[in-house]
Amino acid sequence: MTTVSLPPLDPMFRKNSKRTRDVFASESDDVLQEDEASARLRIAVKINDEYRDFKELPSALLSQQGTVGPARPRELTRKMITAAPVDANTSRMIATIDKTPQAQPSTFSSSTKLSQALTLHKTTRTIKPTYHPPWKLVRVISGHLGWVRSVAVEPGNQWFATGAGDRVIKIWDLASGELKLSLTGHISTVRGLAVSSRHPYLFSCGEDKMVKCWDLEANKVIRHYHGHLSGVYSLSLHPTLDVLVTAGRDASARVWDMRTKAQIHVLSGHTATVADVKCQESDPQVITGSMDSTVRLWDLAAGKTRVTLTHHKKSVRALAIHPTEYSFASGSAGGNNIKKWKCPEGAFVFNFSGHNAIINTLSVNAEGVFFSGGDNGTLTFWDYNTGTPFQNMDDVPQPGSLEAEAGVFCSTFDQTGTRLITGGADKTIKVYAEQSQ
Amino acid sequence: MASALASILPQPVYAPSVSDDEDDVRPTVVNQAIITRAVVPPYGQRRGWKPTSQEDFGDGGSFPECHVAQYPLGMGKKKASSGNTLALQVDSEGNVRYDAIAHQGQRPDKIVQSQFKDLVPLFHRKDLDDTDRTMDRPSEEEVQETAEKTRAALEKLVNGKIKAAQPKNVPDSQGKTSFIRYTPGQQNGASALKQRIIKMSEVVEDPLEPPRFKHKKIPRGPPSPPPPVLRSPPRKATAAEQKEWMIPPCISNWKNNKGFTIPLDKRLAADGRGLQDIHINDNFAKFSEALFVADRHAREEVRQRSLMQQKLAQKEKASKEENLRLLAQRAREERSGVVPKPTAQTEAAMKSSLAAYGSDSGSESEAESEDSAEDEEARKIRDQMRQEKRREREREMRMNNMGQEQRAKMLARQQNRDISEKVALGLAKPTMSKESMLDSRLFNQESLSGSFAEDESYNLYDKPLFHGSTAAAAIYKARGNIPEGNEDSFGGGTEEGIGKALDNDRFNLGQARVGFEGAADQEIREGPVQFEKDTGDVFGLNQFLDEAKTGKKRGLDTGTGGSRKRQQLEKADDRE
Repeated sequence: MTTVSLPPLDPMFRKNSKRTRDVFASESDDVLQEDEASARLRIAVKINDEYRDFKELPSALLSQQGTVGPARPRELTRKMITAAPVDANTSRMIATIDKTPQAQPSTFSSSTKLSQALTLHKTTRTIKPTYHPPWKLVRVISGHLGWVRSVAVEPGNQWFATGAGDRVIKIWDLASGELKLSLTGHISTVRGLAVSSRHPYLFSCGEDKMVKCWDLEANKVIRHYHGHLSGVYSLSLHPTLDVLVTAGRDASARVWDMRTKAQIHVLSGHTATVADVKCQESDPQVITGSMDSTVRLWDLAAGKTRVTLTHHKKSVRALAIHPTEYSFASGSAGGNNIKKWKCPEGAFVFNFSGHNAIINTLSVNAEGVFFSGGDNGTLTFWDYNTGTPFQNMDDVPQPGSLEAEAGVFCSTFDQTGTRLITGGADKTIKVYAEQSQ
Repeated sequence: MASALASILPQPVYAPSVSDDEDDVRPTVVNQAIITRAVVPPYGQRRGWKPTSQEDFGDGGSFPECHVAQYPLGMGKKKASSGNTLALQVDSEGNVRYDAIAHQGQRPDKIVQSQFKDLVPLFHRKDLDDTDRTMDRPSEEEVQETAEKTRAALEKLVNGKIKAAQPKNVPDSQGKTSFIRYTPGQQNGASALKQRIIKMSEVVEDPLEPPRFKHKKIPRGPPSPPPPVLRSPPRKATAAEQKEWMIPPCISNWKNNKGFTIPLDKRLAADGRGLQDIHINDNFAKFSEALFVADRHAREEVRQRSLMQQKLAQKEKASKEENLRLLAQRAREERSGVVPKPTAQTEAAMKSSLAAYGSDSGSESEAESEDSAEDEEARKIRDQMRQEKRREREREMRMNNMGQEQRAKMLARQQNRDISEKVALGLAKPTMSKESMLDSRLFNQESLSGSFAEDESYNLYDKPLFHGSTAAAAIYKARGNIPEGNEDSFGGGTEEGIGKALDNDRFNLGQARVGFEGAADQEIREGPVQFEKDTGDVFGLNQFLDEAKTGKKRGLDTGTGGSRKRQQLEKADDRE
C-alpha cells in the first residue's frame, strides 16, 4: 500500500545537482571544479565547430604580415575575432589545444625586396603599456617669494629642500608640508640642489656662480666650489664617488672633488649654456644637456665626450635617468621633444610625442611613471617603457598670480616614487600623488 | 691542355689550399706577357704627334718640336698636393663607410652617430638583436669596477691638482752635498797630476723667491671636430607663423618711419589741432564774473566797516579831548588861585572827569560831613595833580637848559644808541668777529672814493652832514615840542612818524587858516633850511667902499632913510 510511485532516484539526483550548480555557479569556480578532461574536450569541440574557418588568417593578410611570426610577441597575435575577456585558465587550455604554428609562411606571399621592407616596417615591436593609476594634486605649499627653481628629496625621505628666486633654500617636512628651515647665503636664484646619500651634506648652486656645500648638522656653509665663470644652472652628485658635477651658463660642466674642493675636470665642448647635468654610477657617468640642442655623454675618468647626441632641434633643458633601467630621457622644446636613449652608447630608443611645450623638467620613478613639466604649465604623465601618455594635466597657478605664471620649473619623485614634488613660476611647491581606488 | 700540363708537372711545394681556375691560369698569362712598346715616329715625321705617356720618352729627353708641356721621367712636374682626402673605406659587407670622416681624428672609444640607423627607434632597427635592445643596469660588480677605475683616475688628477696648494718640497740646506775625487788630466806636465777632492753642494734656494720666468699660458688647442648633425634643418617659418611673430612698428608723432624728426608744423597739421575750434564753457566766464562781483562787494563792506570804526574812534577821541581840555582849564584856574564858582556845567564835567579816578560823587543833597570829606578828597587829588604839573615843568626847564652834550646824550638814549647802561648791565658785548668790526656801511661810499681824487679837491663839506638821516630830521623838526624823553617822541624816529606827529592836531585847533604871510605859497620843506650863498653885498661893504671912493659924508645922505620910512608907511597903508 505504500507503493506510492516514487519518481526514480537517478533523474532527481541529477536534477538536484544541476540546480545546486546553478545556484552556486556564481559563488566561485573552486567549489565546482569541472573535470579537466571533459572541459578540454568540450572546448576543443566548440573551437572546431565554430572557428574552423578562421583558424588561420587569409593568405593575403598573412603575406602582408610577413614571416616574423614566432618572434612576434604574444600580445600581437592578431585574431579576427576578439572574444570577451577570458580567464587565464581558459586561454591556457586553448593554447594547449591549438597546436598549430601561429604563422606559416604563405606559399604565394610575394618575396620581392620592396614588399619585404614594407612588411618589415610594419612589424613594430610594440609593448603594451602598463597601467598606472592617475595622479592628483594633493598639496600646494606656498612659502617662497620667488620662482621655485630646484627641488631635492632627502635620501631618508623625511624632508625635501627647495631653492627659489628669492635666494633662499627652504627645507620642508615631506609628510606634513611644514617649513622646517630656511637657509640663506646665496645672493641670486638657487638653481640646483642635491642631498648626498653618503654625507650629511646639502649641495646648492645658483646664478651667483656659487656652488655651496651645507653641513646639515650645523646648517652652515662649509665649502665653496669656486670656478664657474657664470651662473650655475644644475648640479648632480655622483652616486658612488665623492664627486660633484655642476654645469652652467659658461657652457661647461665642472667636476669637483667634494672634500678638497679641487676642480678635477672641466667638461668643455658644449657651445651654449649647459642646462642640465645628471650623474649615474656606470658609464656614461655624466650626461649633460645643453642649449646648443645637444646631449653629451661623458667619460668621467678621461673628462672627454664619448657620445654627442644631436637629435634634438631646440635647446635641451631637462634630463632624467631611470633608476633601474639603463636608459635616460632628454627633453627640449617643440614637437617630438622628449627622447629616450639607451644608456651605454646613447642609442635612440623612441620619442615621447604629444607634449608640445618647452619642457622644463623631467622625472621618472622606478615604477616607470615618467613626468614632464612644461614652461606653459602643462604636465604630462607617461609610461616610460612605451612612451604613451596616460595623463595630461594643467598646472593651476595659485590665486593672485598671473596667467603666465603657470610654468613648472623643477620636479622630483620622492624616494618611494609615490609622490611627485614640483616647483613652479607661481612661487608654490605642488605635491602630486597617485590616486588610490 | 692546362690540366694535362698540371698533371705532368710536380706538385708545387706551397700550394694554395683552395685553388680555383683563375689561379691556375694566371702563371701562363705571366709567361706569355707581351711587352708592347709605343712607336715613336722618327724625327721629322712627328707633326701631329705628341708624347702621351712616360714610355714615349724612353730613357729621357723631351721632344722640342712637339709644343706641349712635357715631363720626361716626371722631371719638373709639380707634385700633386698630398691633400687631406681620406682613402675610401669599405666595411666587411662592402658598403662604403661614409662616416669615416666623422671618426677621423677622434679617440677610438668615441661613438659617433652619423648614419640613418641612428635616427631609427631602437625597436625598428634591423641591425640589432634582442640582446642589444635590453636595457638592464650593469651588475654590482661591474658598477664596482667602474667606480674603482674612475676613482683611481680622478684621485690621480686630484693629487696633481692639490699638490700645488701643498707646501713644496723644502730644500734641505746642507743635505745635498757630495764629495768627488777629481783627477785632472795631463795638461801641463807632471805637476798637474794631483788628485783633488771637490765638495759639491747645491745652491741654497730661497723658497719664497718669486719665479724667475714668466709663466706663459699655452693657447687652447683646436676643439674636437663637430659631430654630425642628425636633425633636420630648421624649417622655414610659414606665412602664418611669421604673421604671429610680427610686432607692429611703433608709431610716433615725433619721428617718421626713417627715424627723422617730423617738423613741428607738419606734426601740428597732421595732429588736426588747428581744425577743431576750442569751445570754452560759459560757466568759466560766469564763475569769474561772480567772483569779481563778490570781491567787490566784500571790499565795499570792509570799507564801510572801517569807515564806521573810524567815525567811532573819532568821536571817542573828541570826547577825550574835551575832557582833557576841561581838566587843563581847571588846572590853570587852580594854579592862578581863582577858583571860580563852578557852574553847573563845569560841575558836571568835573564829576564826569573825576569819575575816572574812582571817587564816588555824591548828589547835591548830601550831608555836610560828606561834603567836607569830599572836599578833602578833592584837595588831595588837586595836590597830586599839582605835583605832577610841577615835575613836568621842572623837566621841561631842565630840558631847555640842557647843554649840547647832555642833549645829545639824551637823544642818543632816545634812539637806543646810548649803550652805557647796557654795558654796565653786561648785556652789550663787543662783536667777536674781526670782519664785522668793520662797518660795511662805510664801504663803497663816495667819500671814500674821494680819497682817490686829486689832493687839491676840497669836497669835505659839499654834502649836507646829516643828509637823509632820521636824526637830522628829528633835530630840525621836533625841536620845540619834545614833550618827554620817551620812545614815541619824534614819531619813533621815522620820517613818517615825525610827519604824523607834526600833523597831529593835539588841541583841536585845526589847520591854521592864516599862517605866516607868504608861507602858504612856499613849498613844504623837509629838512633843514637850505641857505643860499648870497652873492650880493650883504653888509653894503662894496657900497660903502664905493661911497668912500666918491668922498660923500654919511650924515648928509638922507634920501635913502626917508625913502625907507616912506616905504614902511606905504606898506602899512596897504595893510589897512
